[in-house]
Amino acid sequence: MSKQTAVEAQLKNLIEENKKREHKYGLYQAILLDIFFVFYSILVVQRAIYYKFFLDLRDLPFSWIQIIIVFFISVIAGTLWALTRTSLSCKLFGVAKDNKTTKWTIELFGWFLFDITFIAGWIVTKISIVSLFSPDGLKGAGRLFSALFHPQFGIFDDALFAMIETIYIALVATLISIPPTLIISFFTARNLMRENKVTFAIYYVLRIILNFIRSIEPLIWAIIFSVWVGIGPFAGMIALLVHTIASNAKLYSEAIESIESGPMEAISATGANKIQIVWHAVVPQIVLPFLSFTIYRWDINVRMATVIGLVGGGGIGTMLMQYQGLARWREVGLIILMIAFVVWIMDYISAKIREAIY
Amino acid sequence: MLLKVQNLHKIYKSGTHALKGVSFEVEEGEFLVVIGLSGSGKSTLLRCINRLIEPTSGLVEFNGKDITHINGEELRKVKMQIGMVFQQFNLIKRKSVLSNVISGKLGSLKTFESILEKYNDKVYNEAYRCLETVGISDKAKVRADALSGGQQQRVAIARSLMQNPKLLLADEPVASLDPATSNSVMQYFEKINKELGTTVICNLHFLSLVRRYATRVIALRAGEVIYEGSPRDIDENWFKTIYGEEAEEVEIR
Repeated sequence: MSKQTAVEAQLKNLIEENKKREHKYGLYQAILLDIFFVFYSILVVQRAIYYKFFLDLRDLPFSWIQIIIVFFISVIAGTLWALTRTSLSCKLFGVAKDNKTTKWTIELFGWFLFDITFIAGWIVTKISIVSLFSPDGLKGAGRLFSALFHPQFGIFDDALFAMIETIYIALVATLISIPPTLIISFFTARNLMRENKVTFAIYYVLRIILNFIRSIEPLIWAIIFSVWVGIGPFAGMIALLVHTIASNAKLYSEAIESIESGPMEAISATGANKIQIVWHAVVPQIVLPFLSFTIYRWDINVRMATVIGLVGGGGIGTMLMQYQGLARWREVGLIILMIAFVVWIMDYISAKIREAIY
Repeated sequence: MLLKVQNLHKIYKSGTHALKGVSFEVEEGEFLVVIGLSGSGKSTLLRCINRLIEPTSGLVEFNGKDITHINGEELRKVKMQIGMVFQQFNLIKRKSVLSNVISGKLGSLKTFESILEKYNDKVYNEAYRCLETVGISDKAKVRADALSGGQQQRVAIARSLMQNPKLLLADEPVASLDPATSNSVMQYFEKINKELGTTVICNLHFLSLVRRYATRVIALRAGEVIYEGSPRDIDENWFKTIYGEEAEEVEIR
């Protein structure tokens, strides 16, 4: 009995210590966040609301000294504020005092942050009801829409070939992406890589690289590659390929992370080596999700390929860009109609295939 | 002596002290059953024996050899001699019964050969023989997940037989089966133990099954061995010590 109470006391101690540590940690985080809140509020109020709206300046004055001064003010104000334990951040990190002042500051400052953000957003995006409903603008839009709804079928065969080119760009990009994605995905699956430090380092570095590649839109990749390999379908294909590998590797590795660990345990208990475990216990569990992701990605790539064409990635997008440049809206109408049709068909087919394989 | 476990401790990263100095020995040909409540450390103990879990301290000696700290190729060689059957069967659901059974042989097959999945006749014959031992060879071509729970567990047993194991570990092999099926699955363990002479260490819940199949029993409570001896000697009092005051014995036939 005494042994048990001793253990309990020890546990209690541990929990207390943990709480204290967490509390301290939470306060540090609250200070940092409060500094950011103050810094953000001052800058938004000064630059977006005061300069842009009240003074209506075209070019905002910019000086590092001013920014640094604002920063110092917010460091002092934010720190002091957080130390009173009544700020919004203190509440967010669970270190706030539970009294009326806290309640009031949170409510007031919360609304203040939301309001200035919304107002600044309104000013920055230059929202203007007037130009949305100006008669000139409406007339132009009407002309354009009526042209779009009377497509010019004279260029149908050209558009069809361009469309086929787009579908092939997407298909080839998807197909080529499969082997590298497969290999990479195993190295970016946490459950396979966490065992020792070296593999975990590889996992980490690969994840960062993939995140970076994925965060750059295929459109930007297309611009990069059209400079690299020249404007045309090839540039578009590589752009899609790069982005497909990066995004599907993430999906694939998540599928690997969500497999049942039981079969892996069972196979490893038979004395199989690492490659055999992956091949016989991991691969059979992920074949279907992989197939499904890949087919879905083809569908996405067809849509993206049309956009990529706009910046010189070949296919229907490039054609659309040319006719748009010539302001031949009836041709543009036909092309848009065809894109919509193909995207719809692809969407349907890929959904059906994915349904069938499960 | 086939297996010797000495002063085995396991402390998980979460701080749980699952095994607190467990020691016991297993002779060749025994049918040892480990009983105890959920969370008493039974599964951890089995997994420490074939090193699916790394023990924190202590000694595991298999076949006269210290296997507590071996690694790589050496560890795989030992794992190949120890079969394991799990509560959740852990078959590859989408694959056929036959290829599930063959996967028990992976340790002794070449990596390249096993990836192409082209095995020679000897391997196939062996797989059929193992399936016959558990009386399920007619299902060889069926997908594993098309079988009932009891059948899946028999396939899992066949898979471990494929290893020609010296020692067979079974982690609550009948816990997710109904009573009737439980008994039939346990009978296969008995058959393997008696006819093939394979040593069996099995975690079980039901005392009636323990009395029927075990040659020796170890009871764990909170990571410590509190009973070791014949299954016949577990009386009402022992039962209450192992499973707690409120427990009542449930019969399973």
